[in-house]
Amino acid sequence: MLEIAPMKLSAADLALPAEALVADGVQLALADDYARFSLRARDAAILEGLLGRKLPAKIGETLDGVACLGPDEWLALLPAGTALPLGEGLPVSVTDISSRALGFVVEGPRAVELITSGCPLDVAKFPIGRGTRTVFETVEIVVWRTAEARFHIEVWRSFAPWLWHALAAAA
Amino acid sequence: MSGYRLSVGGRINRAAPLSFTFDGKAYQGLEGDSLASALLASGVMLFGRSFKYHRPRGILGMGSEEPNALMTVERGPARMTPNLRAPSVALHAGLAAKSQNRFPTLRRDLTAVNDTLSAFFPAGFYNKTFMWPRAAWESVYEPIIRRLAGLGDSPTTRDPDHYGATYAHCDVLVVGAGPAGIAAAVEAAATGGRVILIDEQEEPGGGALADPAQWADLAASLAALNAADNVQILSRTTAIGHYHQNFVVAVERLTDHLAPTDAKGAREKLWRIRAGRVVLAQGAIERPLVFDGNDIPGVMLASAARTAALRYGVAVGRSVIVMAVHDSGWRDALALMAAGVTVSTIIDLRQDVAAELVDAARGAGIAVHLGCAVTSARGRLGISSITYAPGGTVDERAIACDALLMAGGWTPTVHLWSHAKGTLRWDGAWGAYLPDTTHEVMTCVGGCGGAWDYGSGLALGTLPSAKPLHKRKGFVDFQNDVKARDIGLAVQEGFRSIEHIKRYTTNGMATDQGKTSNLNGLQIASDVLSRPVTEIGLTTFRPPYTPQTFGALLGHHKEALFQPLRKTAIDDWARDHGAVYENVAQWRRARYFPRGAEDMDAAVLRECLAVRDSVGMFDASTLGKIEVVGPDAAEFLNRLYTNPWKSLAPGRCRYGLLLREEGFIMDDGVAGRMAPDRFHVTTTTGGAARVLNMMEDYLQTEWSDLDVWLTSATEQWAVIAVQGPKARDVIAGLVSGIDLSREAFPHMAVREGHICGVPTRLFRVSFTGELGFEVNVPAQHGRMVWEAIHAAGQPYDITPYGTEAMHVLRAEKGFIIIGQDTDGTITPEDAGMAWAIGQKKPDFVGKRSLARPDLVAQGRKQLVGLLTEDGTHVLEEGAQIVADPDQPVPMTMIGHVTSAYLSPALGRSIALALVADGRARMGETLYVPMPGGVIRAVVTGPVFYDAEGSRLDA
Amino acid sequence: MLLIHCPYCEEDRPEVEFANGGQAHIARPADPSAYSDPQWEEFLYIRRNPRGRHHERWRHVHGCGRFFNAVRDTVSDRFETTYKAGEPAR
Repeated sequence: MLEIAPMKLSAADLALPAEALVADGVQLALADDYARFSLRARDAAILEGLLGRKLPAKIGETLDGVACLGPDEWLALLPAGTALPLGEGLPVSVTDISSRALGFVVEGPRAVELITSGCPLDVAKFPIGRGTRTVFETVEIVVWRTAEARFHIEVWRSFAPWLWHALAAAA
Repeated sequence: MSGYRLSVGGRINRAAPLSFTFDGKAYQGLEGDSLASALLASGVMLFGRSFKYHRPRGILGMGSEEPNALMTVERGPARMTPNLRAPSVALHAGLAAKSQNRFPTLRRDLTAVNDTLSAFFPAGFYNKTFMWPRAAWESVYEPIIRRLAGLGDSPTTRDPDHYGATYAHCDVLVVGAGPAGIAAAVEAAATGGRVILIDEQEEPGGGALADPAQWADLAASLAALNAADNVQILSRTTAIGHYHQNFVVAVERLTDHLAPTDAKGAREKLWRIRAGRVVLAQGAIERPLVFDGNDIPGVMLASAARTAALRYGVAVGRSVIVMAVHDSGWRDALALMAAGVTVSTIIDLRQDVAAELVDAARGAGIAVHLGCAVTSARGRLGISSITYAPGGTVDERAIACDALLMAGGWTPTVHLWSHAKGTLRWDGAWGAYLPDTTHEVMTCVGGCGGAWDYGSGLALGTLPSAKPLHKRKGFVDFQNDVKARDIGLAVQEGFRSIEHIKRYTTNGMATDQGKTSNLNGLQIASDVLSRPVTEIGLTTFRPPYTPQTFGALLGHHKEALFQPLRKTAIDDWARDHGAVYENVAQWRRARYFPRGAEDMDAAVLRECLAVRDSVGMFDASTLGKIEVVGPDAAEFLNRLYTNPWKSLAPGRCRYGLLLREEGFIMDDGVAGRMAPDRFHVTTTTGGAARVLNMMEDYLQTEWSDLDVWLTSATEQWAVIAVQGPKARDVIAGLVSGIDLSREAFPHMAVREGHICGVPTRLFRVSFTGELGFEVNVPAQHGRMVWEAIHAAGQPYDITPYGTEAMHVLRAEKGFIIIGQDTDGTITPEDAGMAWAIGQKKPDFVGKRSLARPDLVAQGRKQLVGLLTEDGTHVLEEGAQIVADPDQPVPMTMIGHVTSAYLSPALGRSIALALVADGRARMGETLYVPMPGGVIRAVVTGPVFYDAEGSRLDA
Repeated sequence: MLLIHCPYCEEDRPEVEFANGGQAHIARPADPSAYSDPQWEEFLYIRRNPRGRHHERWRHVHGCGRFFNAVRDTVSDRFETTYKAGEPAR
């Protein structure tokens, strides 16, 4: 019988590199640190009152560093160190998730091509400012078009090395 | 040796010869050749042996429909691809191809005895013959069948290539770049939308490549498409499947057409295309005719000979006969004559053939026999003559030839149409199924839509013959070696549905997907059953349209990228300190930290003792964490978990047990109340996503009135468990803002403060039975805090421990692991955890089910401890338990071992087990029958160590 | 791969962002203890397996995160409609 050597399928020890990846037509880099918050409320006005800022009204829209991900859910990417009131007692949830995810910046004329290699959405048609939760292959991400040829990608910390190397393979 | 290169014509580059080998012998072809055309030009007729009978086979078609000429191509070490169709293999310098299914050589195949004995290998032979004696299957039958059967050999080494993948979006996707597809693409491009045109061949053009009169138009159209920036043309790309809502999957071959030294980058690329509209222009495939000897090398489709001559400048023979039942055969014969190929004879079953065709043929010097049919082809490794007779008679005459072309009409290629559940309608004039209705935004144009002028003709199952069906030897499915008489036999044995006939005979199955066999098989079944074709049914075409490599389907998911490997913030430290890992869900976790030459048992023993005697530290970051926030947070948890939550004071924790609505334990974990409206809930490592989904489900769909929100915080926090009598001493110097004293910070409390200058949620909890803390810090600080605790613990010889020691320590305490000591059918009562149920709560998820008759019945398996009589013997997890070891086999199993370890604290083995009525069997001796003998064990309670819990509150 | 119209996002999104949640419109009773054993068994386990029109739940788990209901034809796999959780069956 044919002997097949066992394959070490999941022993891959991928790490995030220290340097940005510069390839033909596209660059992949780690984003700056952010203060990240998950903001939840049935009534956006209560959150807006608590935080003293306007929130994007429609799923997929972004405003001043805040993306509306769901009917009662916003993701805030604010300058590192920003603190928000927790709204104790109010019908809201403000949760610090600064450490939960890492950000990638994909930039260049081939940025759309790179993201489309594993993301099933028609990213080319994203207007600037659109941000949405989706997947890259099997990994959940948030894709946010910040400029014509620049995207910000949020990915949970432990999935970041895989995503980096999957994007690098496509680059 | 019959074929040869014509002196003019074709799209090959006569100034660019390419050397290659076939079965080790050197040949020369030209740039632009396929492997098939280059071999034909060199006079090769014999390309391979058939699958079942090992009959000699040549080329049947000149496209991906080719069923016979399957090749193994080697491209250096470890790069071996079997089952490539010779017409679809582009020639490059140095190409090394091998024929398949022959032993030891192609010309002299010893296993061709199958063919001599073919009368004994009818349809269903394998099903019928090898059933008995059963023991002979593995030792005799299977090895022989494996030697004889199968298509090619699998590579035995790792594939060194990498593969790309992408999604793509377009307004119009055109599949097939023949004239109809190109016209559709030109039209679509003019609307300004995004257009993708894909084609499986080396160059776009389809059938027009074998028609020089169309070359100028073709070039002009392609130039226009190439110039349009909204059009993408993908050549060497096969659309292999058409799925819901215009989702088409295609594979682009990027490097196989290049010499290995020129091949750079990904070998193939998987295209996942979502199109607004799909235009199928896959064309049609010519149908073979069924008569004795129709598989002898040199018998081929007329369209194949035409392609050979006009696209590749190759004559398939020096004396060619055409057997036609369709006008296209006459047109091909005339085109071949014009190209310099000698066609001696045209035989047509029809008495009435358009006068212009007959006149033109006779004018070209071709002998014409109307109303006649070939009755046999003769020759062993290549055709040498045929016999023909007026339809259905025995009045046979012979003619010598070295090629026989079959023009049996055309079968529109409706595979992708059918993949997408498009319906088909029978078209009598075509003698084929044509596309009918579809839910998709999808159209068929050109040949595959029935809109192409191939002329007219007959559609029939077999050529007429004076022999009865069961004596005929014509092949229907060349790849699967199915003869007309096999279909007759299937019907005779009672199969009526074409789906059953297909599976019994293997007609149209597997990699070929019936490209050349489907309609003939259907016609034969129809004839034998004396029912119209439309009542026979039609088998289902399934993806992939042509065979593909596993690599192409994997795309990026290979080697290191096979799947994400999740690592904690502390993983690097563990790696640097020699951790041996295990995988838990997608996470990699340190299993133990061997020192020196320690094996796992020694390391675990040391790690466990350190926790019991002094202090250990453990990376618990993978625990699932969910932040439950809102005015109704306590109410929500109260409805969900078995325990009461409303009374839990801020700053306190509680162990929570979560059931499925069916009453079975689903998950567990400790939750801390951080504030009146904020809980930090933990789940098992593997259950994190499942629990969050269940919580969202109840919250969104059952209790949408509650003001509470859930946020996954698993990756927000790194968690360091510090456990052991010295735990407090270790962290005392690092923590600020929290009074760690026994009085101020009791067991099952949680505090917020700082450790090493970063914020922490500090839990006083224990999964070991010792004094313990779980330090939660933002993940980015996890490594720093871990190292600080490790340094602060040095005076106490703090010992990092892994999941194995964690399992042992908790088992000594009788704490369950969900999924190990439970299996999805265990209630809290079964697990001995009725204490976790809030008896005063009117409802929680699963409560009603706990009163179901089955769940309160006697005889349920209950979690107990087991102590083997021989304390050095560790039971095997999963081992079955019986009450009476002397009963006859099969024995009545009364339970199984769920956890078993050598307990360092007890100095003997311990085990947990689920045993029927286990708690009523305390002190009873049970038996574990194992291959080495029966092991005796005594039933005990599940808590083996410090049952009174005095160590927790040190 | 199906395209599924998310009634919250108000757009068609690829199936890989969704998870199927089984048959729709099976409400958990306000007081399960009032249910007889057969009633409770029906609630827990008895599901339809229609050929054709089927009400089922989906969750846009890798999108807006919401559960919603759909009417899907189990023969053609076509979605007839999707609508928000809590809205009456269509």
